[in-house]
Amino acid sequence: MREITFAQALGEAIFEEMEKDPTIFTYGEDVAKQGGIFGAYKSLLGKFPERIFDTPISEEVIYGSALGAALVGMRPIAEFHFADFLFTGIQSITLQIEKIRYMTGGQGKLHLLLRGPDGISNSAAAQHSESIETIFMHTPGIKVIIPSTPYDIKGLVKTALREDDPVICFEHKMLYKTKGPVPEKEYLIPFGVADIKKEGNDVTIVTMSRMVHESLKAAEELEHEGISVEVIDLRTLVPWDRNQVIESVKKTNHLVVAHETWKRAGWGAEIASIVQEEAFDYLDAPIVRVGAKNVPMPFNPLLQDFVTPNYKDVIDAVKKILR
Amino acid sequence: MYEIKMPRFGLTMESGFIEKWFKKEGEKVKEGEPLLEVSSEKITNEVVSPASGILLKIIGKEKEEIKVATVIAIIGEEGEKVEEIKEKEEPKRIVETTERGEIPPIKVASPERGGRIKASPLAKKIAREKNLDLSQIKGTGPDGRIEKKDVLAYLSSASEKKVEFKIEKLSSLRRTIAERLSKSFHTAVTLTNTTEVDFTEFKKLMKEKNVSITSGLAFVLSKVLIELNKFNAHFNSDKKELIIYNNVNIGIAVDTEKGLMVPVIRNTDKLSLKTINDQIKKIAGEVRKGIISEDDIKGSTFTLTNLGMMRTEIFTPVINPPEVAILGIGRIIKKPVIVDEDKISVRELAFLSLSYDHRIIDGADAAKFLEKLAKLIENPELK
Repeated sequence: MREITFAQALGEAIFEEMEKDPTIFTYGEDVAKQGGIFGAYKSLLGKFPERIFDTPISEEVIYGSALGAALVGMRPIAEFHFADFLFTGIQSITLQIEKIRYMTGGQGKLHLLLRGPDGISNSAAAQHSESIETIFMHTPGIKVIIPSTPYDIKGLVKTALREDDPVICFEHKMLYKTKGPVPEKEYLIPFGVADIKKEGNDVTIVTMSRMVHESLKAAEELEHEGISVEVIDLRTLVPWDRNQVIESVKKTNHLVVAHETWKRAGWGAEIASIVQEEAFDYLDAPIVRVGAKNVPMPFNPLLQDFVTPNYKDVIDAVKKILR
Repeated sequence: MYEIKMPRFGLTMESGFIEKWFKKEGEKVKEGEPLLEVSSEKITNEVVSPASGILLKIIGKEKEEIKVATVIAIIGEEGEKVEEIKEKEEPKRIVETTERGEIPPIKVASPERGGRIKASPLAKKIAREKNLDLSQIKGTGPDGRIEKKDVLAYLSSASEKKVEFKIEKLSSLRRTIAERLSKSFHTAVTLTNTTEVDFTEFKKLMKEKNVSITSGLAFVLSKVLIELNKFNAHFNSDKKELIIYNNVNIGIAVDTEKGLMVPVIRNTDKLSLKTINDQIKKIAGEVRKGIISEDDIKGSTFTLTNLGMMRTEIFTPVINPPEVAILGIGRIIKKPVIVDEDKISVRELAFLSLSYDHRIIDGADAAKFLEKLAKLIENPELK
């Protein structure tokens, strides 16, 4: 199978859907001329000039206009440039976009896609390194997708562009250039279906985004020590595949949840809580979470490494509960 | 409405063991039709229905031992209500059947282990399912927490330690044997005297006459019992009376598949050797086939137990109460014996073991008894 990058897979998904659906258009800061700050739209450069355009630096306008366009039946894809900046325009999202379908009693659809990069990069410091997906899991009304591979982002974004609900997609900065197999034939990935990235028997790691790769690296090392790790990539956080997770925990009796966002009140807490509610009798050890330390991301590269979880933290967590 | 009560087969019967019901609840029964099978200490009998009607209620269940005269079933007309009776006449069960209760909650408080036992939810679940006591399991997790692997390790070590066994419920006969023997053993002051007797001539003669050694022994024994009649007696310890019998009824211990049984040959003091032999043959056969009647095992005045055909020389038989003595015969073995003028000759010898109740009989009496008997065996006339 051909291998393409995460960014190329995203571009393909948007291109294919734009060709099919004339109501789709996409805009944001530096997307049209530059192809996105991390090259997400590089493969779209020069395509659909009327429907792919740049905006001023005004998050409130970007998200608010997406809301308005969706209300009149369009299907906008708005880029948030950095996930951190979602906070600057958050009232359009949490007060309007998430609520419209419910407040109209489901009479109106609100199909729009908010997408953009999140997570750490090379010393982007406290305001350009955050992962804030938990906020959109906590506030109801928007679907949250967080792909970790080129295959997943293409299938999930295509599904998002056929949804009637608002969707937010977080794309980790460090993943855009990663390559992976993507079939040329069209495919869709349904929401709420986790992907077992690696099967195992001793411990389940539930993870997403960049931490999928860290967890797979950890699993490989642990395998040398005779520990069989199952890595479950949730792929979508709202809705999340609790059946798959609970089945896996029933098999392994041990659970680690690993994410890049802060450990404190991160979505791992929600997963851990549901699992202990629904599979308590299958747990042979406490559920352990792996997440960032509870501080704003430091600029200093050494400190960034210290704060951000990686495969070593996953290994430690697994060993802690399997000792 | 008829109440079926646990019948009394003999005066000493206190309870009956319900072996089997032939009818089910709600089934029609006719007067005189077999209703159930009950075994007493001694025999198993069919109980027939005293009336015709519907078997409305079975109160005494199969394999339960129930006191005599307790209502075990109710026969009545179709549609009759039996609730009241059931409550009024709850049978007095001697052996309570163990009810299987709900799985007990898992024990987590353990003073010996410093308060609460720490165990993972999964470990607790397995322990609950396997009915294990967590306080017996050593935890190897953090803070000594019991984890799945600890429970599994405990289970596998427990299965290594497990002793394989099966539980066999005592048959009615075996229970009777157990009761009678322990009663005898705990009340009688039993002593056993033994003496070695030359059976050479006796054996020869028995062969000639084509009768068994046991028959011959019963024959000579009867002579001795008539002479030393204190041995041919029943002791009533409550009344402090000894009932001395004028005729000899010898109980012959017979090994059967179900257990030891003691059929009785009556008036052996008046019977010929041939008749005794015939009777023993017949009754032993019946006993082994299990077709003996209760009368045939009652009323012995003295018991003879012959282990001669097996590998035992000397033993201490237990008195069959209310008798006062019992004679055991050991294996007949060829031995070098000093005979007349200090010559050594090969003779066939066996030990007689006489157990007696020292409350009634003294050692000297026993010695006298053995001496008389030995003489009859060593110089057999058999007339």
